Amino acid sequence: MNAQAKRAPVAAAVLSILVAAAILWPLVAFDGPWPRELGAYLESRGLEESGARNLVSAIYLGYRAYDTLGETIVLLVAVSGAIGMIAAAGTTLAIDYSYPAKDGAVDGGEAEKPIRRKAKKNRTDLIEVVTGKLGPVVLLFGFYVMLFGHVSPGGGFQGGVVVASGIVFLALGSKGKPGGGLSSASTLAKLEAAGFAALIAGGFLGLASGTGFFAPPLAGTSPLGFIIALNTVIGLKVGAGIGFLCVAMLGEADYD
Amino acid sequence: MTGIAESIMSPSDWAMMPVALPLLGAALSLLAKAFIKKGPWASLFEYLGAFVGLALPWLALAVLAPLVLSGGSVQAIIGSWSPLVGISFRFDGLTWLVDMLGFSVAGMAWLYSVGAGPKGPAFTTIYLIQASALAATAATTDLFNLFVCLEVLGMASYVLVTSSEKPGAFLAAFSYLMVSAAAMVFFLLGVYGLYRLTGTLSYSSIAAALALLPDGGGYTAVVSLACISAAVALRVAVMPLYGWLPDAHALAPHAVSAVLSGVLIKTPLFALSRFLLAMPGGGMAGQLFGYAGAITALGGVIIALSQKDAKRLLAYHSISQIGYVVSAWGAGVSALSRGEAVGYALLSAAFLHAFYHALFKGLLFLTVGTATDAAAERDVYVLRGAGAILKKSGERLPFTLLSFAVGALSISALPPFNGFVSKAALSYVLKGRWEYIFLFIAGIGTTASFIKLAGIFAPPKRGAGIAAASSLPGYTAKKTVMTAQAVLALACVASGLAGPWFYRFVGRLLSGGHYSIGVLRLYDLDSLLKTGGIVLAGYVLYKLALTGIGKRIAARIRERPRGFHGLFAAFSLGLGGLTLWISFFRFQ
Repeated sequence: MNAQAKRAPVAAAVLSILVAAAILWPLVAFDGPWPRELGAYLESRGLEESGARNLVSAIYLGYRAYDTLGETIVLLVAVSGAIGMIAAAGTTLAIDYSYPAKDGAVDGGEAEKPIRRKAKKNRTDLIEVVTGKLGPVVLLFGFYVMLFGHVSPGGGFQGGVVVASGIVFLALGSKGKPGGGLSSASTLAKLEAAGFAALIAGGFLGLASGTGFFAPPLAGTSPLGFIIALNTVIGLKVGAGIGFLCVAMLGEADYD
Repeated sequence: MTGIAESIMSPSDWAMMPVALPLLGAALSLLAKAFIKKGPWASLFEYLGAFVGLALPWLALAVLAPLVLSGGSVQAIIGSWSPLVGISFRFDGLTWLVDMLGFSVAGMAWLYSVGAGPKGPAFTTIYLIQASALAATAATTDLFNLFVCLEVLGMASYVLVTSSEKPGAFLAAFSYLMVSAAAMVFFLLGVYGLYRLTGTLSYSSIAAALALLPDGGGYTAVVSLACISAAVALRVAVMPLYGWLPDAHALAPHAVSAVLSGVLIKTPLFALSRFLLAMPGGGMAGQLFGYAGAITALGGVIIALSQKDAKRLLAYHSISQIGYVVSAWGAGVSALSRGEAVGYALLSAAFLHAFYHALFKGLLFLTVGTATDAAAERDVYVLRGAGAILKKSGERLPFTLLSFAVGALSISALPPFNGFVSKAALSYVLKGRWEYIFLFIAGIGTTASFIKLAGIFAPPKRGAGIAAASSLPGYTAKKTVMTAQAVLALACVASGLAGPWFYRFVGRLLSGGHYSIGVLRLYDLDSLLKTGGIVLAGYVLYKLALTGIGKRIAARIRERPRGFHGLFAAFSLGLGGLTLWISFFRFQ
């Protein structure tokens, strides 16, 4: 690499940062009055309309549940993409991009065996015992965060991530017998699919009961039940998805 | 029929169906993947999901057609919450058209993927999610929801690009991810700026609140508008923000390339027009987009002409063709924001070309994909006799060759194919502007480039290229592949013959019946002479490109330094330019 080619990325970075800073300065420096209307509305009507004491939950699972559906889907797609890449790593990354050589000439591509990375087995008894015992406790805490999202800070996404760490603990504490119980890849995949299907079914429930897509069903009643149900479903889906991803990265999944 | 449809669901529920049904299909397909895994039952549920997600939305479009044709629209808040905090969407003529564009290509490309891969419920799930996000993007009128839609759209694309499992595809998806994630940060900052000023997220209430502020929100509003527009421009791949596209579109599976090039770069553009038309200063942003579009049309074709890889060549043509669309779109947004009704004619021409490009570019990606797969060779200069190779692999009649010919003649704007009609509409509305000259020259380049690409079907020269006799096992012609190609080819011909009528139809839908587009005269001596001139000039350019100097220039363009950092520098320059441009006209 010559000197000019080395300097180009640095120059590009400096330029990008300078331009971005110059443009964004008015956004940062703006000190006009904050709009108050929406805050006042949520303060006076939020609890009554949604039934959720935690107004954050009221917003993301009530007023703007449709946005949350999108964000959940982003996570689902990202996890499935990452799993796909982990599964493909070693089988395709070693092969040259071009098509295999024709008329039988072997370009070294033939000999490449798929390399499956296994996690290093540098586990100790200490880790296995502690994580194995802690796993169920962490899971319980995750479910608490998930199910009480409407009254206290937390909810489906946060609870789901805690559940996922519980699953990782269980996988680490499985004494070298991978794929048992909740930490098995196929169980997690099933749980994730069922969570997603339940989420979509929840969306259609509103259509069936006449309130509209992704609206709390049963007009006239408190949407609190809907919020709790969404928190649970999202929590399960997020927990299973992230858990699946971690188990795959531990090298214990069969990717099917 | 409307009566029966309304007894099932209200119009606002039907309007959500193009979003909801693909999600239902995705759920079915994901369940099949997790619980059944393999075998006929898994395929059954996967195909059922694809049917629900890609075919049933047409029913919703049919139900809603009378409403939008009469100039009506559905405007509602999802979940019927207060408009202050809920998410608003709008199903009108624009939504209907953009959905139609999306589901036409997505349906056929999925059918193609059944034969040519990638297969399986995992792919179908992500594919359906992408279709759903396309429909959601077309309908939303809420700024944060637009962010979410673009995120889903983007995430699905990155994953679908990697599903070809070509190692280059991982890197292509990664740079696509990084640069659009960076752009989305600016989008989010733009949302913050407007929310900080107005405390609301729906387009109409932002516009109403800005009108009450001193100086319409000043620089904060301008910067926010620029950030949001630039982030969307990156998805549309307008120059200079195009650098991520060629790798991503060239290395994706063919079916995915067809959707990415045909649909995915256009939906955000038409979604942006809603936002720009509501915002003060949106017209100026649109105008700059239009100018950039004309430059993109010409720049894209120059780079395309120099390419060796067949799919990369097509990818650069997508950039060039989106330039045609954006130049008319930008002029249209600018005119409409000044209250000039001629803007509807410009927007209609832009949509017409967007739709026709979706059909013929989808077709080209599929047919060229079939040919290069069968021959296991993608180099335009090496591959010869693709027709003979396909015949050996089980294609009794040269369907792929014929379909490719239809696509190539369409993009080169020869009568009576659809590209001829949409380019005639573009010339008609842009005549007298400097953009017109750029598009005219780009047309010559397009013809030259497709004469070159058509060479892959030419009989092999002595010794050179691949002998058609060489045995290439592992590829067999599939019925689904043939069907998908044939349907798109027929659509190119039919939409070309019905072009003038369809142009008026688009105009009626986009203007809500307020504007009537004049009759497009297609086959008079003037336009036929012009077409003949373009073909002749294209042939001369093709011959020039094959000379020693031509080849050296091509190699120079092809091997120009491109890097990851360039994508970011281009984005910050584009953003800076857009901000200065809008500020200049707002505060002069």
